[in-house]
Formats: sequence, structure tokens, C-alpha cells
Amino acid sequence: MTEQTPQSQLSSTATNGKPLLEVRNLKMYFPIVKGIFGKISGYVKAADDVSFYIQSGETLGLVGESGCGKTTVGRCIVRAYKPTDGSIVYQRADETTVDLAKVDSKELQTYRKDIRMIFQDPYSSLNPRMNVFEIISEVLRVNELCSPKEMEYMVAHIMEQCGLRPEYMRRYPHAFSGGERQRIGIARALVTSPRLVVCDEAVSGLDVSVRAQILNLMEDLRREMNLTYLFISHDLSVIRHICDRVAVMYVGKLVELADANALYTNPLHPYTESLMSAVPIPNPNLRDRKNRIRLEGEVADPSNPPSGCYFHPRCRYAKERCSTETPVLRDLGDHHFVACHFADELELTGVRMA
Amino acid sequence: MADNNNLLVQVEDLKIHFFTNEGIVRAVDGVTFDIHSGETLCMVGESGCGKSVTARALLQIVHRPGKIVDGSIVLYRQKSHDQIEKVRISDLEPKGREIRSIRGKDISMIFQEPMTSLSPMYTVGNQIMETIMLHTKADKNQARARTLELLEFVGIPRPNRIIDEYPFRLSGGMRQRAMIAMALSCNPRLLIADEPTTALDVTTQAQIIDLIQGLQKDYDMGVLFITHDLGVVAEIADRVAVMYLGNVVEYSDVYTIFNDPQHPYTQSLLRSIPKVTATREKLEVIRGMVPSPFRRPSGCPFHPRCPKAMPICSEIEPKTISLTENHQVHCLLFDEDAKKPVREMAS
Repeated sequence: MTEQTPQSQLSSTATNGKPLLEVRNLKMYFPIVKGIFGKISGYVKAADDVSFYIQSGETLGLVGESGCGKTTVGRCIVRAYKPTDGSIVYQRADETTVDLAKVDSKELQTYRKDIRMIFQDPYSSLNPRMNVFEIISEVLRVNELCSPKEMEYMVAHIMEQCGLRPEYMRRYPHAFSGGERQRIGIARALVTSPRLVVCDEAVSGLDVSVRAQILNLMEDLRREMNLTYLFISHDLSVIRHICDRVAVMYVGKLVELADANALYTNPLHPYTESLMSAVPIPNPNLRDRKNRIRLEGEVADPSNPPSGCYFHPRCRYAKERCSTETPVLRDLGDHHFVACHFADELELTGVRMA
Repeated sequence: MADNNNLLVQVEDLKIHFFTNEGIVRAVDGVTFDIHSGETLCMVGESGCGKSVTARALLQIVHRPGKIVDGSIVLYRQKSHDQIEKVRISDLEPKGREIRSIRGKDISMIFQEPMTSLSPMYTVGNQIMETIMLHTKADKNQARARTLELLEFVGIPRPNRIIDEYPFRLSGGMRQRAMIAMALSCNPRLLIADEPTTALDVTTQAQIIDLIQGLQKDYDMGVLFITHDLGVVAEIADRVAVMYLGNVVEYSDVYTIFNDPQHPYTQSLLRSIPKVTATREKLEVIRGMVPSPFRRPSGCPFHPRCPKAMPICSEIEPKTISLTENHQVHCLLFDEDAKKPVREMAS
């Protein structure tokens, strides 16, 4: 990769001191293996030169269509994957920094309790053969974070905070409903008092009424426990509700990153604009909105992306330059980053406020 | 809006119970609605409210141990130009000849998961041709020509190639398009779409919804659209049936449902969705959760979660009350007769 996102620019914009986490030029390539000799015939660039930062106490949203690499970025941060290239700079509680992309698995253990993850599917992410106490306390036991005596108290405490009854500690996951299981998943992530929580589609599988409960719970816990969230979702309404800042991904690249209000009302990237226009709005009086944009075609193949700007074959504003030159993520003022050649010329429409 | 001449399906007091070892589950418990040609009826509700089971009943494909125990489903089938035949679907044998001539011909269905509802063993073209050859007298070549036409019609690029591909080679959106092509192959009068866009991305969802709406206009089809996404409902519905635990709790046109909902469940549901147009604020929640089907609350099934519950709500099962000609509510708050005797008894 010859182009590099101007990282000095990105980090200098982190206003309130150093960010809690700073991702710089993160790359995660998965090899495509062919034949019995394991010959590598190409790479799927699931995350390609992704840079962003998360301030302590804020919620950053990561949106995009399926296959855009948002989950890959989340998994790199919890180091479920070892990134191909780039760095993930994490600021410890004593304000020293460490690059999580480079540390070995032994050293990584010390950060496992600081950076935790909440998963999407509350049915498959809980081991059916472990009871709730075992599920939540596993991380404490494995990392020897507390004595067995304290463990029961800690589990009971976090269960109560997550709206579960501690009496049910010895029950197995099958005895709980979807919403309660998601609460168990949240309790498991939060029992170590983490500093950063990666929520991968944490409310996507839930019913409307339960989803509202879980969103409120996550917001309450964020305040009580001083948490920072990286909230990954494809649901733009949910992201809008919970996030301070939002990053939009398309085929492994970050295309826009801005304050949530600015991004929704005044998008600068054509892809963001078309996403906003596709969101169904629960108000029948607005159904005949004009200028609705319907994207043609399909999401590009990340193993064989188009030349230039990956979005150009579907972009209605595309010009010749878009098919030859890859746009760089740049700041257009007010920490509004966008990767489009014509971002300052285009007049794009966002979501109309009710 | 819709007169009786183009009535397509009439469902009256439909009850579907599941006879399991743990007890009887009243999955659908007295549901009444109708669909006219050219209109879209949206059925909306949380998981377990019986919306999918109701839809499956229209084709007599309710899973065992479910059974239609009461009520009727009547299909108004056009025999010739001015002759309309009434078919009581609820009385037909699920494996009989007559219902099989209706499935895929008069009524067809698209499912939520396009991966599991297409057979992985046959090519896309093969599966669509099967429907055509079953219901019309077309031979193989004619069926193939019609299939190509359909694939092109639903916006699949390069239909000549896709027709011989297996489903796993297609993306989610393309598979759903192929599913729609199959559903449309015999020009159905009624299309049942069971969460057709839930597994898709927003941009693909918008494409598929546009497609269904366009086809509906062209063919004057009736559409029964099942979803839990109130945003989608607001975009496409003419009328809406809100379901909760086997009952239609509110039934009206889409503007009434969104602008002037009367049932406490509809009101709470609308307030609990995060909106893309609104700024950050705390969401209102419906307390508790949908109860287990084996522990259906007495009286009105919504009463333990209802913010406006009255003492009688746990005792009396509500009746359907018509507020206006096209606005029905299933709630005791509006039932003056039910409230009276209790008050008298209390005094």
C-alpha cells in the first residue's frame, strides 16, 4: 500500500488528551488457499488501512453492510485475530501506551480483562453445559483475578447490575429468554470492570421491546461503570440512538467518520448518503419522500475490489478520477473525516429530522 | 378504499393450537382479517405472536403438532371472467389435490431465509421451472423461457448464466430475488412475504421492497407482509394488523396505527423503537418480556406488561371492539359492557 492515511492528522485531532484506543492503518488480510498444497491464490482484504480513535467515555459506532469488515475490526481490537499490519495503541490506566497488535499472547493476557466483547447471538454465545455462575466467572477463574470466595459476590453483584436475579446463578442458559441471555452476555463482559467494550451487533437478534430494555441497560451501565463502547451494528437507527461518533465502512475501508449528528444530517460521502436514504422511517406520513436513492448492483468483492474508489461502480456521482485514484480519508473540518475526492463539492442530503 | 368485489382472502376467528407434550399452545387465538387485491396488509409483532403461523395456515402448511382447530379461511378464486369461486382453505386436506393446486398458483409465499428455503441440490432455474410445469401445461422449453423472463424481471443480472447456477453461488439479495421470481411464476393473486428482508442489508432491503411494490402494482396482487420492523411497515403497508400472543390487538389503516394508536401495546411498541430521525434520549420500554407460550396469562394476555391494566384485565378475555368502521381494538379499555358489571359488583 502506497497511500497511508495521514495518521499525524488523525491523532492530532484527538482533543481531550490521548485517546483510550487508537487504531492506525489496521490491515487484516485473510489468505485464499487453493488446492491441496495450500497455495495462496489471493487475499480477502477484510480490513484495509483502517484508522480511528476512541476517546475514553465515548461510544463510537461502526456501521456498514454485511461483509464490509466491521466485525473483523472489532475482533482485531480484542485480538481474536492478529492483524496483518498496522497498530492498535491502547492507553493503560497509568497513561502509558502499548501496541496491542505487536504484543505476544502471554502479555496480551493482562489486557484481556480491560477489553471485553459482547456478542450478537445470545443463543450460540453461551455454553449450554455451563451454568450462569460458571459462564460469568470463567474469566475471573482463568485469569486468577480474584479468590474463589470473592467470586460469588462479584458474580451476584454484576448480575444485579445487569437486571438479573442472583438467585438464578445456578441455572443453565436454556432456562432464560433471549433478552435475559443477552443480559448474561453483558454481565460476562462487564464482570472484570473493563475499560473498553466491543459490542458486535449486541442488540440485533432481539425483539423490539427487549431491544429497548437492553439499549437502556447498556447506556446506564456506561455511566455507572465509566465504560467506553465500540458499537458495531448494521442498524442505523440503533447506532444513531447510542453513539457519539460514527464510522462508516465499505469493503474493508473507512469511508466516513464524524460526530453522529453531523453524519446523519449532513453526510459527506455518497455511500453514507445512500445508506441514510435506505433506512425505513417509522412514520407513514414521510413515505413519499422524494429523491430517494436506490443503490444499483451489489457490494464489491473484497478479494477482487474495483480500481480507484471501491464505491465508484455504484456511485451516482462518480467521475473518471474515481476509477483511477484511491481517495484518502481526510478531515473536512470539525473532525469530519471522509474518503471521497469530491466531498467538498457534492451537495448530499441526510436524514430529515422529524 | 377496497370494496367487496376484489376481496381475496377472508380469515375469520382463526384458531391454531399446538398440541405438545407440555400442553396446548394457543399460537393463534381468534384472528380475523381480510385482504383485497392490490393492497398490502402488514402483520407486525414480536417473536412468538403467531404471525408466521397465521400466514402458513393460509397455505395449510402449519407444522405439526399445530392444527387449525376453529375458524375459517376463505379464498375467493377467480374461475372465469365474472365467476368467483369460494374455497374454504381451512377445510382442505393439507396434502390434498385441491390445496396443492392453490399453493404456488393462487397464493405463493416468500420466506425469510433465502438460503434454507431454496434447495441446495438443484439449480435456481430448475426450481423455478418445476413450479411452472406443475401448474401450467408448459413443456420444458417454454418453462425455461418463462423462467428467464422472470429472472430478468426481478432484476437479476445475466439471467442466462444465473439460471444454471446453484443457490450457494448467489448473494443474499440475489437469492431473495430468485425466491420472488419463483413465487411470481404463476401470477399469484396473493403473495405472502414472511419477513422477506429481515436477513438483508438496508440497501438490499430497499431494493427488494421496491421490487415487491412494483410487481404488486403491475399485477394487482394482494400482499400479506409479515415483519417485526415498524419502519418497513410505515413504508409499505395499506393496513396493519398488530399481533400479540395469538391475537390481533389492533387492526386499522397504516396512518391510524402510527398517528393515533389506541391499544396500549401498539402505543408502547411505537415508543420503544430507536428512531433514525430523533436525537439521543432514553427509550420507553415495555416492562417484562413476552411470556412463555405455556404460561399464557389469564384474561388479556398483555395485562402483566400493560401500563394501563385494570383489575378486570386479568379476569376477562377482551373482545374485539370497533372504534370506527376500519379501526378495531382488542382491549377492555374500550369495552364499556365488560367494565360495568365489575364496577357494580365492587360497589
